[in-house]
Amino acid sequence: MKPALAAVDDAGEGAFYAAAEKIYPREIDGRFARMRKVAAIALLGLFYSVAWLQWQGHQALLFDLPARKFHIFGLTLWPQDFLYLALLLIIAALSLFFFTALAGRLWCGYACPQTAWTELFIWIEQWTEGDRSRRMKLDRGPWNLEKITRKGVKQLLWVTLAVYTGFTFVGYFTPIRSLGGQLLSGSVGAWALFWIFLYSLATYGNAGFLREQVCKYMCPYARFQSAMFDKDTLIISYDEARGEPRGARRRGTAARPQGLGDCIDCTLCVQVCPTGIDIRRGLQYECIACGACIDACDGVMDKMGSPRGLIRYTTEQALHGRQTHIIRPRMIVYAALLTVVAGFLVYSLFTRTPLILDVIRDRNALYREVHGDRIENIYSLKVINLDNAPHTYRLLAGGIDQMQVATPTEPIQIPAGTVSTVIARLEAPAAAVSGVHQITITVAALDNPAISVSEKARFIGPRT
Amino acid sequence: MRVYLFPRSRPRFQGRDLGIVLWPSFLAACGASLLFFAAVDPLMLRDAGPRIFAGIERESGYALGFAFFWVTGAVASALSVYLIRTARAAGNDKDPV
Repeated sequence: MKPALAAVDDAGEGAFYAAAEKIYPREIDGRFARMRKVAAIALLGLFYSVAWLQWQGHQALLFDLPARKFHIFGLTLWPQDFLYLALLLIIAALSLFFFTALAGRLWCGYACPQTAWTELFIWIEQWTEGDRSRRMKLDRGPWNLEKITRKGVKQLLWVTLAVYTGFTFVGYFTPIRSLGGQLLSGSVGAWALFWIFLYSLATYGNAGFLREQVCKYMCPYARFQSAMFDKDTLIISYDEARGEPRGARRRGTAARPQGLGDCIDCTLCVQVCPTGIDIRRGLQYECIACGACIDACDGVMDKMGSPRGLIRYTTEQALHGRQTHIIRPRMIVYAALLTVVAGFLVYSLFTRTPLILDVIRDRNALYREVHGDRIENIYSLKVINLDNAPHTYRLLAGGIDQMQVATPTEPIQIPAGTVSTVIARLEAPAAAVSGVHQITITVAALDNPAISVSEKARFIGPRT
Repeated sequence: MRVYLFPRSRPRFQGRDLGIVLWPSFLAACGASLLFFAAVDPLMLRDAGPRIFAGIERESGYALGFAFFWVTGAVASALSVYLIRTARAAGNDKDPV
């Protein structure tokens, strides 16, 4: 083999990849930083507190996988209610499309768990290791006592937080109060422990270690969000016409007479960027629209005595001096779809009957003659009371004249959230039955006329 | 005669290939598990399924199901990476073996 060819191969296969450089985002205060802080505190606060919320004697929000029931406040959903979950996922996807088309990556900047937890982990880092320049100095410096202490405390806090996050996460799937008790007494099950460990690891890895690399390399949304963008979408952009040519100038002096634009090339916008990009090079898919560069630049412009907004939320249309259209076909289509699906979800939730009936004909006998002049068919009924309260149900059968329910003779009592199998024997006069008849079997709650379900079944008699 | 049955040099796999294999298959396994276990109760498999499912509980059933989907997805991803890494680079057809 010729060595020259091997060299070509080297260049072609991955020699261009450099190890990701560690990004030290500079701390920044401003409108968008405060908004992001509020959003992170609100969302993380909800996550950590809602798990402990009780509702009518049970955990308010519990996706009880071992019991295959989802408790959402007063509502209990069963696997049979999968439709609601599917609708909810569709609504989530459509909302993402809608808000992305309207205002860009709002999700990434303010609502994504990756952003919120990274924020939290960076706060801890700032508290233990200091601001950006101190962190960089600490990382470069030797492993002395101070470095070991600062890094040690940071890791301790990070790991504690990660484990607590893993515990809370699992607490949404198995009751958190008993899980907490088991954890404290050391009697927690192996699977629960495994999942807690896994989610702790994920939290630590994503928020402490990977950070912006999740957004840059792992997130599919970051790659396809551009499909929802158009010229009227709100983006964070550097006003090139106003900023260029960039260059340093004395504070308070006008830029244009010196042949300069408003950008003083202080690179603060790059230093604050959590993904380490330079917004002045235009819109890039790494930009999570957090607004840190806007805050930084606004502060600099204030100091320089120039108007704010050299980097700002704007649209491509506005940058080119044209009118921005908020209402446009894309928005109307997304909004219409969203309204229809959300409306259907609300409608079906409000008209949901907390009762399921499955009818299976007895396989052993087609029919039986009883009392000489009557025909009997036997059915096995699976009745599921999906409600959070016990109910007593009456069994009704219709479709053939003078058909009667022979058993059960008493109303059926079913506790809350329970499946009951009922053997039903139906009788009809022999004179009225010939061959196969369509009948309807109805189960109706005695205390609530709205809870009633009917199923079709076949009633078979002798052919005459 | 030139023979192009195998790549000229050993394929170069990188550390990030592991991520490319494991991460999308993890996402796919999440979705597949959600859909599958919404319709299928692990206990149903234990009671009515083939004998290999005997002895599973709900929790171990979910975990095994998730692992199965993850491994399946990872095999698919790994094959994709393998096929891409072992393909001859375009324009190199004239190179002697």
